Amino acid sequence: MVGDALWYEAAMVVGITNALNVVADALGPLMSPAKPGPDVAAIYDEIRAFYATGGEVPVPFGLAAQDPGYLGDLWAAVKRAFSDNHLSRRVKTALAFAVSLTTRSAFGTAFHLGELRRLGVGEGGIMEVVGVTQMFSSYTKIADTLQLEPDMGGIAPVDHSPAPASEPRER
Amino acid sequence: MPTVRLRDAEEYPEPARRAFELSKQWFNYDFPQPAAMSRVMAWDPHFGGPHGRAMKRAMAPGEFSRGEKEMVAAAVSGVNACGY
Repeated sequence: MVGDALWYEAAMVVGITNALNVVADALGPLMSPAKPGPDVAAIYDEIRAFYATGGEVPVPFGLAAQDPGYLGDLWAAVKRAFSDNHLSRRVKTALAFAVSLTTRSAFGTAFHLGELRRLGVGEGGIMEVVGVTQMFSSYTKIADTLQLEPDMGGIAPVDHSPAPASEPRER
Repeated sequence: MPTVRLRDAEEYPEPARRAFELSKQWFNYDFPQPAAMSRVMAWDPHFGGPHGRAMKRAMAPGEFSRGEKEMVAAAVSGVNACGY
């Protein structure tokens, strides 16, 4: 997992996962998804294809569709974040599942669990992610309780590569 | 600042110091002192021992690689807002 590109991608997955979860968990039971008009039909088709759902569009997208422009941009960000890139979609989904579990998101946990299975991760692999999530939910609270200061932040090599689509800088 | 005084490795008994060596191998990094969490866990080997073994079991390569699991661990730590 060397190189910043992987970690930028991971951070974006974590962020957008949380964004979907907070809305789905809080408002999913309270609001109805928008009826798909012609202006969102193409986006809904893309969403269905991406998640291989029959007809259902995941709750946060249905809610966002009240404003088709907003849905379009939200979906573009989600699709970009979860598509294969430096990190595979499988690993990104594992991250999203771990984040959802950690934040106790009922929507996210169920959704990304389903996605992991659909992407071919077995029950053993799922339990691997659960185990890591569980153990680090312990370590983090022990560290916080004792207010430990970071002492491992510098053990990874620094990535001096330039920002995407830019030239390397002299160091 | 930690709410406890983290003991130097030399203050721990021999079995704990052996565990610190294993910890160094696990991280593949030569810390001046064992990582703070390693020293915390060594305080009570009846807790830290099984907790550490469970962690290593969870982090072992399986369907996901050790590196991928480290990333999951980092994400979990991040959303737990853990600065350590």
